[in-house]
Order: sequence, then C-alpha cells, then structure tokens
Amino acid sequence: MIRQPIQLRTRIVISVLSILAMFVAYEAIAMRQSRINPKQTVVPGITSLWDGIQKMTTPNRRGETWLVEDVKATYGRLFLGLGLGIGLSIIIGVAMGAYPWVEAFFVPAVSFFAKIPPTAMLAVYFVLFGTKTEMFVAMVGLSVFFTLAQSIYQVAKKDVSDHSVFKAYSLGATSPEVIYEVLWKQILPRVIESIRLQIGPAMVFLIAAEYVVGDVGIGYRIRIQSRILNMNVVYIYLVMLGGSGLLMDWSLTQLRRKLCPWFGE
Amino acid sequence: MTYALEIKDVSHWFGTNKVLNNLNLQIAHGQIVAVVGPSGCGKSTLLRAIFGTHPPKAGQILADNEPVTKPCRSVGIVYQHYTLYDFLTAKENVAFGLKLDQTNLPFRLFQFPKWRQLQRQHFAQSIEFLNRVGLSHAIDKYPHEMSGGMCQRVAIAQAMIMKPKILLLDEPFGALDESTRTDLQLLLLRFYQENLEAKRAGQTAPHTILIVTHELNEALYVSDRVVGLSQYHADGANGATIVYDRPSPIFHPDDPRDFDLFLSQREELRKVVFDPESKKRHEEFVTFWNEHADLQAIAMQKA
Repeated sequence: MIRQPIQLRTRIVISVLSILAMFVAYEAIAMRQSRINPKQTVVPGITSLWDGIQKMTTPNRRGETWLVEDVKATYGRLFLGLGLGIGLSIIIGVAMGAYPWVEAFFVPAVSFFAKIPPTAMLAVYFVLFGTKTEMFVAMVGLSVFFTLAQSIYQVAKKDVSDHSVFKAYSLGATSPEVIYEVLWKQILPRVIESIRLQIGPAMVFLIAAEYVVGDVGIGYRIRIQSRILNMNVVYIYLVMLGGSGLLMDWSLTQLRRKLCPWFGE
Repeated sequence: MTYALEIKDVSHWFGTNKVLNNLNLQIAHGQIVAVVGPSGCGKSTLLRAIFGTHPPKAGQILADNEPVTKPCRSVGIVYQHYTLYDFLTAKENVAFGLKLDQTNLPFRLFQFPKWRQLQRQHFAQSIEFLNRVGLSHAIDKYPHEMSGGMCQRVAIAQAMIMKPKILLLDEPFGALDESTRTDLQLLLLRFYQENLEAKRAGQTAPHTILIVTHELNEALYVSDRVVGLSQYHADGANGATIVYDRPSPIFHPDDPRDFDLFLSQREELRKVVFDPESKKRHEEFVTFWNEHADLQAIAMQKA
C-alpha cells in the first residue's frame, strides 16, 4: 500500500544503505574508467580525491590555502547577501501584508522583478556594482529580496485573518503590537520555511556569478580546476556545497522547531 | 442612565442596497441579549458596526457612553470560528489581552524582571478564568491540540478576562456538537447568575453580552432579552430594523432544559421576525423597556 509507514530503524538502515550504494557505485565507475585509461581524472578514485583535498589545503605563496580563501569569499558573500536580502524582505513583506498603501506601492515592482531570473540580471549588476564583493552581495541580496518579500507578503496577508487583527485591537493592542505580537509571530514559521527555500537558489546565483566573473571563491575555483580536468578538486567542492546546504537547511529547521513549537512538522 | 451599549438611529447601506434602517437599541449593564433574524437581514453588519470594524453610514453607537468608531477595549468579541492565536497556549491566549493592555514592548524588553513578575500574575488570572470555563486540564495546550468546544471556551475566557463593557458573541456555538453547545449555554446561564449576585450585592453586573444566533431555542434559553432584526416590516424596502424586543424567560443553570416552556414566545418570534408576509409597523413588538420592571422582579425572586 502506498504511504505505508515504516519503522525508524528501517528508515535509518535504508538511508545508510543508499549512501553506501552511492560510494560503491562511484568507486566502481572510477575503477572501470581507470582500467580504460589509467591517467583519467574525470572520475577520480578515492586516492585521487585525497590528492585533491591536499591540493586545496596546501598554503600558496600568500600563505593561504584555496579552501580557506574560497570558503571565506563565497560564504562571506552568501551570508552578507542573504542577511541584507532577508532583512529587507521581512520589513517590506510584513509592511505590505499589514498596510494596503505599502502593498499598493510595492506590489507592481516586487511582482515584476521576482519574475526576472537573477542570473539574467548579472549584466545589470556588473554595470551597477562592478565585479567585486559588492556585486555578489547585491546580486544575492536582491535575488532573495524580490522572491522572499513576495512570499512573506502573501503569508502575512493570507495566514493572518482580519478577525485575529481586529480581536487584538479589542484586547488593547496598538498597531505596532499587532504587527509584532500577532502578525509576525503567526507568520514566523512560514518565513523560516521561505528562507530555507531561498538558500538553494541564492547559492546557484552566487556560484554562477563567481563562475563567470569571480577571481576567488568556490565558483571561480570550480571553473579553473574543471578547465584542467582537476575533477578531484571540483568534486570535493561540490560535496562541500551539498554538505553546507544540508547543514543550513537542518539549522533552519531546528530554529523553526525551537521558536515555533506550535507549528508542528 | 448609562447603558453598556446604545445604538442611536443607525442606518447602513452598500451602494443602493439598504441594509440597516434606523436602528435604536439600549442595552443595560448585566443584560444578556440575543439577536435573531432571517439570513441576510444585516445581523453581521450590525455586529461589525458595534465592534467598530465597519462603522455605520448614519447614526451613532456608544459603548458605556463612548462612541465606537474602531475596535476598542470596551467591546469584546468571540467569533464563530474561535480565532485563537495559534502560537499561544490556552493559558497564554487568555493572558494575551492583559499583556497587550497593561504593558508595552519597551517595558517587556527593558524591564524584563518586572515584566516576568507581572506575567506570573497574568498567568494566575488566566488559569483562574480557564478553571471557570472548565479547562483547568488544558492550560498548556495549543489551539491545534484542542477540540472546537475547548477552543471556544478559551475564546470566551480570553474575552471575559478583559472585562469589556459589552461582549459580542457571533454565532459562537454554531460549529459545535450538541453536547458542547449545551455546556456552553449553561456557561452563559452561570454568567447571568453572577450578574444577579453582583446586583444583589449592590455592584455593577460584570457580564453584558450580545449574542447573535440563528437558533431560536438557544436565543430564548440563554438570554434575558430577545431582539429580532428583520426586513419584514412596513418600511422593509429601506432595510432591516428591530421588529421584536421582548424579555425572554430566565433559566437557572440547574433548571431542566425544557424548551417547551417558551413555545408560545418562539412561535410569536417566528411569526414576527421570520415571516416574509409580516408587514406590520415595526414598533408593535418592541416592548422590552415597558416590561423591564416586571422582568427584574421575577428574576430576583427566582434567583
């Protein structure tokens, strides 16, 4: 029967088996490729991947390793961009959901820009912000802002009934209190969920931008190393991106559970 | 005399559609008034006007002599679908109004120890109210963990703790099963007994309630006064008005729940308020204040 529940232990065993299967399949393909061409680097084996890790962690002439340099650059840009985008979209999105005149003012612009793929806007960001950190931060921030502001606005408008708002006034609330104590607290779990969904796209835009114009960062390193077929470095970076994405996702889920125990799963 | 609620010459219309036609109503402190009427007669419009979210186009509404132009502390409300705050437990939901009314955000942030102390008092009061509505076992439950009846009790406690001048109940038991509905009706009868006790002690009656319901038995059972709003009267083309305003029988919570006791009044109400053929002058059955003195005497005697 579909959706037949399974025991937690069975679930864990299946998940572990799936990870093992991925490793075994990868290693089998790597061994097969190496038998065909012992010098191949497209599907490097475990030993070759270890070489890649050593390359990434060997200090260069400036005394910095690729790993530290790239992680600092990429995640610095990501968190700064996300911080600005999220902060701005919360303020504007909540205001749009609370005040019809703010809604009327922002809806056309937000709806329009949310439909333009941020990577298509890269040229505009280059012209406006150059190719340094500001450009990456602006791109991540604005790409997150338009989509997130729209989703927060929708949630603030639909998840908080007029009755809840009117009742708060009848209980003695002022307008700022209604916004913070009713509207914000009601939509908080959905805001966290929306942020969670925005991290993936933000990473895509950032890595794409670094790939095109970066001189440091994970996207830049993937481009340079893939050109010379150093896939043992590229794959390690990809694993790192996947791992960090999962970690951020998990952290936000935990945050939602902690802050909004009433929301359930 | 100061009324808990006074509606003066209130009319309301949407475009060319006239809904309320020159309404006048005075509700004294301690009355439990049921409003009944056919579908589409403007009960909800009237309720929204009294609550202050949709002020009337003409006339005035006063709660304890203060004009009502927007939702305010004087007028509390319980909606049919509870409208509890999902992110608060039963105890927090009931104490929510005390928090909003007695503190502000800077106080809660910058005088945290004092706020915690006050919050403990609020929770104590909240638990006391939850006990009164029979929910002592559910104080830490979130709304999604409670049944509809439990949520409605919390909503009543949430409104009552604020001691509004008048509490509006908008078809509060409409979505509940028969047994829960009966329990909550008895709760209203207990509130009425508390009013009588307060009056006997020379105090102001604590609960003034206006309940909108489409259930005639419920209207006659829980209230001490029934008001019928209807478009079926001589000037009905200009909107609905009050066509019936009479005392209803007083029940004690321990009395048998016998609806046959008000059979004749129910028929009278049905004929005057719900019959589309009724084209009488609307004042004919608006006799509450004439009968009021007698009603009080009977109530005190019975209590």
